[in-house]
Amino acid sequence: MILDSALVWLHDTSFGTMIRESVWAEPIIETIHVLTLGVFLGFVILLDLRLLDLALRRTPVSTVFRQLNPWLFGSFGIMIVTGVSLFAGDPVLFYGTIFFKLKMLMLLAAALNVVVFSVTSGRTMMQWDLLPVTPRGAKLTGIVSLVLWIAVVACGRGIAYVLPPP
Amino acid sequence: MHELAILILAFCRWCNDSFFGHTIRDSAWLFPFVEIFHLLALGLLGGTVVLVNLSLLGIRFGNASTAELARELRPWMLGSIGVMLLSGFLLFSTEAVKMYGNWAFQLKMTFLLLAVLFTLTIHRKVIDSQRTAVGLQRAAAVISLLLWLGVGLGGRALGYVTTAASPLIGQ
Repeated sequence: MILDSALVWLHDTSFGTMIRESVWAEPIIETIHVLTLGVFLGFVILLDLRLLDLALRRTPVSTVFRQLNPWLFGSFGIMIVTGVSLFAGDPVLFYGTIFFKLKMLMLLAAALNVVVFSVTSGRTMMQWDLLPVTPRGAKLTGIVSLVLWIAVVACGRGIAYVLPPP
Repeated sequence: MHELAILILAFCRWCNDSFFGHTIRDSAWLFPFVEIFHLLALGLLGGTVVLVNLSLLGIRFGNASTAELARELRPWMLGSIGVMLLSGFLLFSTEAVKMYGNWAFQLKMTFLLLAVLFTLTIHRKVIDSQRTAVGLQRAAAVISLLLWLGVGLGGRALGYVTTAASPLIGQ
């Protein structure tokens, strides 16, 4: 299968080999991956809490988005680069775990949630931006996002737990 | 100082032998389950700490002053610190005696103590006072970020450090 040979190819690249064989690569990259949660996950949760009217209520939703977006994109970039690097260390092993597949599904669902928001409540944001409460659709987006990201973290923890220690 | 070390070790022994220490240690899935809460609270704590400190550094959040922003985020920040302390304590209790002699754990606890004390005293004063010099605000933000980063790095190091037995513990 194409996927299998792609995993083996990634495993055998010099990059994958370096990650796997270096003493320091894995702990350093994993540390960056985990500590970047403090920006990425934190800002996602704060954004969701704002959509749920639970935090930052005095700031318009559009302002919260504008303020957090550059940090969200930047930290998400770091999560992707470090995550893919860790994956490259042993793609066959990672892909073999149920938690890895679940995590990718949850990430896809979280992306879909953003798309759905941007064509529904997000499109009409200017109409409800200054209202005291957010509309039901926005609250639904916030809940779904929270649940999905909690699941992503749980699956990530699961991957580390079922893989044999390095 | 020696008495204090013995007291701390006794506490570690008690945690180690406590019923939650036993329960989590003997369960296949409780440890990672508690870890998930620890990581989720890390995210939220990091988010609130970074946002408030960015504001202190001059990157304001909308029209909100740093004091207003910090006041709005405070329940979430304190709540996530609470979840981190509780989940961290539970994780610690599964191998409390091992942790006693672990330099990464000692480093993490030192940073944690400093970070919490700094947050509740000087950091809070700088945020709430209307007339703090800009330089002082920036210094407080940088110190806060570094202290919390120290806690995080100490936590990561914990996973990689193997413990050398302390003379107090014996073999």
